[in-house]
Amino acid sequence: MLLEARAVSKAFDGFLAVRGVNLEVAAGEIVGIIGPNGAGKSTLFNCLAGEAVPTAGRVRFDGADVTAAPPEAHARLGMARTFQIPATFTDVTILDNVMVGAFLRHPGVAEAREAASRVLDFAGLAGVAHLRAATLGTPGRKRLEIARALATEPRLLLLDEALAGLTPSEIRQAIELVREIHRRGVTLVIVEHVMEVILALAQRIIVLNHGEVIASGAPDAVVNQPEVVEAYLGRSLTRRRP
Amino acid sequence: MRWRWTLLAAAALLAPLILQGSFYHRVLALVVLAAISASAWNILGGYAGQISFGHAMFFGAGAYMPAFVYAHWHAAPALGLPLGVAVSLAIAVAIGVPTLRLQGHYFSMTTIAVAELIRILVSNWPPLGAAVGLQGPATARTVWDLTFRGSVTYYYIFLVALAALLGVTAWMERSRMGYYLRAIRAGERAARSLGVPARRYKLYALMLSAAFTAVAGSLYVVMIGFIDPDSGLAVLISVEMVMVTALGGAGTLFGPLLGAAILIPLEQTANVLFGGSGTGFTFIFYGGIIILLSLFEPGGLLAIWRDRVVPALRRRPTPPVRHAA
Amino acid sequence: MIVAVQVLVGGLLLGAVYALFSSGLTLIWGMMNVVNFAHGDFVMAGMYLAFLAVVWLHAGPAVFTIAAAALMFLFGTAVYYALIRRVMRGPMLAQLLSTFGLALLLRYSAFWIFSANFVTLPTTALSGTVRVGPIFIGVAQLVAGGVALLLTAGMHRLLTGTALGSQILAVAEDRQAAMLMGIRPDRMQALAWGLAAAAAGVAGALIATFYYISPTVGESLAIIAFVVVAFGGFGSVPGAMVSGLLIGLIEATSAFYIGPVYKDVVVYALFVAILWVRPQGLMGERV
Repeated sequence: MLLEARAVSKAFDGFLAVRGVNLEVAAGEIVGIIGPNGAGKSTLFNCLAGEAVPTAGRVRFDGADVTAAPPEAHARLGMARTFQIPATFTDVTILDNVMVGAFLRHPGVAEAREAASRVLDFAGLAGVAHLRAATLGTPGRKRLEIARALATEPRLLLLDEALAGLTPSEIRQAIELVREIHRRGVTLVIVEHVMEVILALAQRIIVLNHGEVIASGAPDAVVNQPEVVEAYLGRSLTRRRP
Repeated sequence: MRWRWTLLAAAALLAPLILQGSFYHRVLALVVLAAISASAWNILGGYAGQISFGHAMFFGAGAYMPAFVYAHWHAAPALGLPLGVAVSLAIAVAIGVPTLRLQGHYFSMTTIAVAELIRILVSNWPPLGAAVGLQGPATARTVWDLTFRGSVTYYYIFLVALAALLGVTAWMERSRMGYYLRAIRAGERAARSLGVPARRYKLYALMLSAAFTAVAGSLYVVMIGFIDPDSGLAVLISVEMVMVTALGGAGTLFGPLLGAAILIPLEQTANVLFGGSGTGFTFIFYGGIIILLSLFEPGGLLAIWRDRVVPALRRRPTPPVRHAA
Repeated sequence: MIVAVQVLVGGLLLGAVYALFSSGLTLIWGMMNVVNFAHGDFVMAGMYLAFLAVVWLHAGPAVFTIAAAALMFLFGTAVYYALIRRVMRGPMLAQLLSTFGLALLLRYSAFWIFSANFVTLPTTALSGTVRVGPIFIGVAQLVAGGVALLLTAGMHRLLTGTALGSQILAVAEDRQAAMLMGIRPDRMQALAWGLAAAAAGVAGALIATFYYISPTVGESLAIIAFVVVAFGGFGSVPGAMVSGLLIGLIEATSAFYIGPVYKDVVVYALFVAILWVRPQGLMGERV
């Protein structure tokens, strides 16, 4: 088991955003997390990534207890994440952005630059390496976000709505990229609203509602379960507009 | 790029010969001194993005120790320099460890509170001269007393110190620390998720900054020969460091130099022309400039030059930037 | 024993004034994550406004306090619209520089206009002392403390008990949601700045009756406000009320037992200590 969350709960001032969530991700899997707005996906995500400390429960990564470990420690152990709204370092070049990630495994400047260039090649951003990251539009920034996280050479990559707000062709390209990342041996946990993406990528999904897991299993099966449909009651299952 | 620095170095070396006379020489020395303080502040405020409004405490630590070792043990003031750096580092760690893990505002508030705290303590502590202050050697006993006539010798000593500081800063800029600090400044949350030990690196920046600011303080006291709470620990010293860096361009190597070259001569002239009230008016002016900078161009003159003037002159899109503004 | 009680009462009364102006600082902080480095100078401005009202208009305490409140309210909203609104959206450097620059501007303008010497208000209706039980209290201090307490409680009531107050708190809690509910965040934030500045101005006017008025007063008052807010919890007005009184007590006791020069040192050291031990106001989340 690469990632394990046991009975994870997170409360904010008495409001329980996440309640007793159990999650197991084996190495090599692609697991999706879906749920309506306010279901607690982001909070759970932050608990897994080390940005928030669960008020109850444990998170284990590769056997190590990371429940209270800070984000830096998660990255060092091999868990990387992206942010829903790309947290691009705008005043710095695209190459420099990725180098920050590369430094984790390559302390020397020249090595880090080498490694970062390779990641940029892989992600299809080699051509714009020396431009300021601020010049990128949203799709570019999302791609950079993923590239930067990849540069830390993670074993597990957490993607937070990495494909929201993209056009259909951009989505297809992004799906291809994610598949390629998976082929290279990275385990993936994907939070997504865009059903097309989940159905295309996830081998297994869990559905959150009101902070609890209400269903889990293979995508096609889960999506048609009555509880899940009810959770999304009143919302169409098409791509969410940003 | 190299030739610009060579040109600058040449101009700096020749300046006292071009601008002759004790007034000019004194101003030149003060410009370089201000450039050292500001460049030191810049490591923390410009590159790491942690804004200190109390850097006078580090300056004061560096300024008081040489005077202290002379006053109490008749030792050469130069020996006080490492002591000043040590005291400075101790203060840096004491305030950095608790506050750098919090949002930036807390650190800034703490620098104001602790700087004031230290000023009050020193003003009332007789071994440090209390409100009266401490004197350095009146005449040179050995060369290590660093008591020279006129300002020119000091000017060149200061230039060496500035060159060393700029060298360290340039090295830092290109090293992993530079990349990490820029990332922390651009988005600490994201930086940490990439494995950047943000707290640690901010502390390193603070310590480096504090150490060099102390050096500036030591250089000040050997030139002036006297230190008291007003000249060593006052809020105005902190303000000037911020002002000089912000005006020139925080986060750039050249910014503090530009700021010092512009502001110090203005300050000194205002002093001469208007006396004490000139100083008061200077700070009204500084307050106004800081507000304008915050509203329109926090990156200072260099950012205005790079982002607005140069593109207009060359009529091409904004060139790629390596330094965060 | 009597002396101890006297010291404590004096401390509490001054503490009430601290609570008053600190509640403004904490409101701004809670609402928009902005630290007003000029807050101490807002109090200083209130002091000088009171002084001018007395010198030019021969105004009595009630009049000059109201004048200070009104003028500072306008000033606070002006500062919001002209400066804060813009820099809030910018980089941290700009935010921090903005109110710091404002502090310098206010402080040195005061220097320039009034010179570095301190002034005091001429005798007013509040001069003299009154005897309460076994102790003597200056009338001015008593009135200042009492009025400050009332106003701080009033501010709390305004925020929690009125429609307008709920709107302000709504914006503080969730700007987007408030907008969706038809509340105009800009207006509420400007109002908050106005209230905060007015509170500071009134505090200044109140203590002008017994404090030394000088341009540098703002430096130490700003730090006291930071300490009060740190103790009480950033964003909590009731917290500021309680900790204001507490800080007033600590300061008075330190002044009495250690010496007036060191009272500031104790309070400032407390600030660092609270950040070391428990930076209240943070919801326990990783920062």
